[in-house]
Amino acid sequence: MIDIQNLHFAYRKKPVFTGLSLQLQPGHIYGLLGKNGTGKSTLLRNIAGLLFPDKGKIEVLGFTPGKRQPAFLQEIFMVPEEFYLPDLPLWHLVAHHAPFYPKFNKAQFEQYIAAFDIPAGSTMQNMSYGQKKKVLISFGLASNASMLLMDEPTNGLDIMSKSQFRKVMAGALNENKCIVISTHQVKDLENLIDRITIIDEGKILFDQTTDTISRKLAFHISFDSEEVKQALYNESSLRGTAIITPNTDGEESKLDLELLYKAIVLNGAAVTAVFKD
Amino acid sequence: MTQLLDARRWWLLVGKHWSENRKKYSLSLTAIAGLLLVWLVFRMTTESDKLSGELQVTTFYSGLFIAGCLYASTLFADLGSKTRGLNYLTVPASSLEKLLCNLFFGVVVFFVCYTAIFYIADVMMIKISNAVMYNRWQKSHVVGDVFHPQEIFNVFSTPGRHDNHPGYVFYLILLYAVVQAAFIYGSVFFAKFSFIKTIIALLLIGLCMAFVINKVIAPILPPGHYQHSITSFEVYTVKKTASGDGVMIYSDATNDKLVSIPEWIGDLLLFLLKYAFAPLLWLATYYRLKEKEI
Repeated sequence: MIDIQNLHFAYRKKPVFTGLSLQLQPGHIYGLLGKNGTGKSTLLRNIAGLLFPDKGKIEVLGFTPGKRQPAFLQEIFMVPEEFYLPDLPLWHLVAHHAPFYPKFNKAQFEQYIAAFDIPAGSTMQNMSYGQKKKVLISFGLASNASMLLMDEPTNGLDIMSKSQFRKVMAGALNENKCIVISTHQVKDLENLIDRITIIDEGKILFDQTTDTISRKLAFHISFDSEEVKQALYNESSLRGTAIITPNTDGEESKLDLELLYKAIVLNGAAVTAVFKD
Repeated sequence: MTQLLDARRWWLLVGKHWSENRKKYSLSLTAIAGLLLVWLVFRMTTESDKLSGELQVTTFYSGLFIAGCLYASTLFADLGSKTRGLNYLTVPASSLEKLLCNLFFGVVVFFVCYTAIFYIADVMMIKISNAVMYNRWQKSHVVGDVFHPQEIFNVFSTPGRHDNHPGYVFYLILLYAVVQAAFIYGSVFFAKFSFIKTIIALLLIGLCMAFVINKVIAPILPPGHYQHSITSFEVYTVKKTASGDGVMIYSDATNDKLVSIPEWIGDLLLFLLKYAFAPLLWLATYYRLKEKEI
């Protein structure tokens, strides 16, 4: 679905990607994680055809994104971190934007709007940032575009809305759709993402499915100082020391995305070595 | 072809553009009407209540140039903002459709609306002016005096028109199309303050052209002048003075040489000068839009 080969991209003289390669398949929700300024949003904008690679190739659904052909644009929807929606009544907005997306489903949109508690007759002008974002997310999902790119989608959402977001997203995925979520707020998306891609210094540092991660790594709280010492990563907490260890016994543990992220950033070589076996 | 231009998609874009901008456009047209009325009232009071044909034409074209170029410089203003630009570029329509939609509003709809607004203001003011003048005429006319009401002037009538010359209004409209196209290009090219930056760019281009013509081309050319058009150049006769210490350059009807390029090349050049600039600038806008990154 998305094939990125040897992507080079720089803002003027500041290189962001120097040979990034990545393949994304339909039927998954990808979590794109990384530090500030590592190029997550830049990667999404390259995929959406808003930025053009300096070198390398990006192919999305068989299209070259940079050409911004209508057939490509109607199959991709981007929910940026900062966005613009014209000040129109909600249904006016749908009436003038939805026809551009042949697979747009109005009933679905109404369902998402209801799930997000957005008053049906409201106008964009009277909505808060969070409400507008929920409208945009609902529209993106109802567009039934094959690619949904989301940049920090939970920013600006309150606690209830984050929970609604997870619920809505989980129900929206199908085998033809690929959702890429770039975020810092890993806790918000822990149970949603089924593949984790971590970018650092313009390169892919880690790229595994959550199933593989759960099979290869164990996450638990330990009070055993020897175990803590030998862990791939440890972090003290009030409950004890949270650790990540190789999952040699096939034990089932709950994936802690935040802990995993820190482990990969601080002790990437040891963690990735576990996946090479 | 459907990826490049599709009538249905273009019409959807037109509908979307109108739904998002109708409030702004209605307010802008009201403001233009207000300014025209204020200006015409001002001129009425300073010119003994008269609104001459010349004044109507000058007002129409001055307003057209100012408002048309101001509006043109906002046509792609969305691209100057990251959030709006992203929204604009991801709308599933081709760059050509987006350009044609903006040209439709910026060139066609604006011209029609501006003309209509101008005539509404003009008709109102002419009627008021005639009423005031008639009132005054009734009080002060002597027997035999005839009242001549002022007429609404056709701003598209072409004084100076004859067989080989379409009249200056025709060239004024062509010039407007070129200048407006430059401002449309400026609205894609410059991210911020495109109106001011386009004016500066046009002034710089004008200065460069004046420099090249006067300081680079003119010294290369032999003494002479362009005759009737830029395709014919009359070279003056050069003779030595009687004392032989200098040259005397003069024009004489018998010895001057007329250098002309073939007529068809001349016609082609003139055609391009008249009609190609605006479409070329639209084409440049299209490519700039295609290459726009956010």
